[in-house]
Amino acid sequence: MSDPGERGMSDPEEDGVRTRVIRTDYLARVEGEGAMYVRLDGREVVEVKLRIYEPPRFFEALLRGRAFTEAPDITARICGICPVAYQMSAVRAMEDACGVAIDAGPLRDLRRLIYCGEWIESHSLHVYMLHAPDFLGYAGAVEMARDHREIVEQGLQMKKAGNAVMALVGGREVHPINVRVGGFYRAPARAELRTLVDPLERAREIALATVRWAATLPFPDVEVAPELLALAEPGAYPIDLGRIVSDGGLDIAAAEFDEHVVEEHVEHSNALHARLRERGSYLVGPLARYALSSGALRPLADDAAREAGLGPVCRNPFQSIVVRAVELVQACDEALAIIDAYEEPDAPAVEVTPRRAVGHGATEAPRGLLYHRYEIDEDGTILDARIVPPTSQNQLAIEEDLRAVVERSLDLPDEQLSLRCEQTIRNHDPCISCATHFLQLTVDRG
Amino acid sequence: MGEVAVGRTPATVAAQPVVVVIGVGNALRHDDAAGLEVVRRLRPHADPTEIAVLEQEGEPLALLDMWEGAEAVVLVDAIHSGAAPGTIQRVDASAESIPVQMRSSSSTHAVGVGEAIELARALQRLPKRVVVYGVEGGCFDAGSGLSEEVRAVIAALAEAVLREARELAG
Repeated sequence: MSDPGERGMSDPEEDGVRTRVIRTDYLARVEGEGAMYVRLDGREVVEVKLRIYEPPRFFEALLRGRAFTEAPDITARICGICPVAYQMSAVRAMEDACGVAIDAGPLRDLRRLIYCGEWIESHSLHVYMLHAPDFLGYAGAVEMARDHREIVEQGLQMKKAGNAVMALVGGREVHPINVRVGGFYRAPARAELRTLVDPLERAREIALATVRWAATLPFPDVEVAPELLALAEPGAYPIDLGRIVSDGGLDIAAAEFDEHVVEEHVEHSNALHARLRERGSYLVGPLARYALSSGALRPLADDAAREAGLGPVCRNPFQSIVVRAVELVQACDEALAIIDAYEEPDAPAVEVTPRRAVGHGATEAPRGLLYHRYEIDEDGTILDARIVPPTSQNQLAIEEDLRAVVERSLDLPDEQLSLRCEQTIRNHDPCISCATHFLQLTVDRG
Repeated sequence: MGEVAVGRTPATVAAQPVVVVIGVGNALRHDDAAGLEVVRRLRPHADPTEIAVLEQEGEPLALLDMWEGAEAVVLVDAIHSGAAPGTIQRVDASAESIPVQMRSSSSTHAVGVGEAIELARALQRLPKRVVVYGVEGGCFDAGSGLSEEVRAVIAALAEAVLREARELAG
């Protein structure tokens, strides 16, 4: 995948300072593809850029002029890995605009259930196929599968359970068609949901084993510094609802997101970099959710986290594999609890009547907070749309993390430094596909 | 997975016929939709008792479940190898690995289609016969509609894929 034609961008003897160039023109095992550029001048890290080619602006434009009811289906197509997250933020925002709140009862339970399915699918994929090869020393899942067939099969089995939840509740697992503003087109029967119990119980067992296994992996002793931000809801681990809080004291409603988060165009990326106003970079995702809500984990997940040696806060991005495994236990266990208590709703959806208004929706995609804002007309026509995916929010924090990693690893040979950079990016499970197309990695020893 | 019935997993649909034809792609990435277009074109002409025609828009590891139980699978996907847009490549991956230039799926897929095939091979979860048709795309930006060069080859490719699927069905 490397393009020799693009090598050697810097002059090795420029200004009499010895310069080194390392470049990997393709960054594997992140969702989608993008580009990374690191420039060193001697031993000084001069520049770290995560270049994102394509923000979801196409979808925002596509949404304008469409009916408010179309937003969940259109935005589900932004990402093949987390369609449910897009749907859930969209329906929350539209319901908010229309003065409807689905905060409890079977419809909300079904939403959490399908969202658990997506967490299970996405986290299984990341933990086993994308992240594990970094720790076990393989180039990728294919190479790892040849030696560790059992590990990969376990991951696939767990992922399949997540797919089954999404397919049953969502109508199908990719771009689920059963989700609508106000609820669902059809609510599953109790007996149908019971068919998920066996695969989910098996998945929960695998998830518990995954936590124990992940805890034994070798982790470099590093921490990330930025503010951690996630939804939080009293007494519950956040998925589909809550206030937006941070460990720096932020505590706002989704409607205030715009006031506190600014997005800036940066030269090296078409995407917008998000930062907290007057505070700077922040991190969303499993580490943030865990740090802010580990006290609200279900007992089984909480016990697993303790046994794995996780404290109430984990700031080591390499250990995010353990946190994701804990969230797998959480999602499986919660899905089973929802199924156990499920009573079919009176109607599969509540009526949502459009009005001229602005609505906000924030939910926890597997990769972190996903914010939608819509302005709709009195007939429900979408006048304006704004989508802020987790990866855009994390970009700045990933760049800072990368800079720190490079500064610590200057003595590594080029190839190893490149690999360390790739791992640093993969730790954050960036869904570049939410925002872009190709990801390339370049380390330029200035 | 466009045609999968509500509440049924692809595996249960795919398990019946001996041959599975799967169009892979993203309908909102211009030429990345080529594989989907091809299978939509041939679907009305395929006998559903022997050939299952499926669409895969998401994460390619789901392919392992889609072809589970099938004797043969024919995949159609857009590729980005540097050839002229509309160029068609056919690879019999039954015994040999997918060439590297066909592995880097242009799309937003997490693990590429080629990697899904190789992973299945490592796990011994690959059908006996695996044929991949790749259509070189010109534009993979966000947006709908195929480029002219790609649109021009869809009908002929649909015919070739159907012919191959019928032969595989014996």
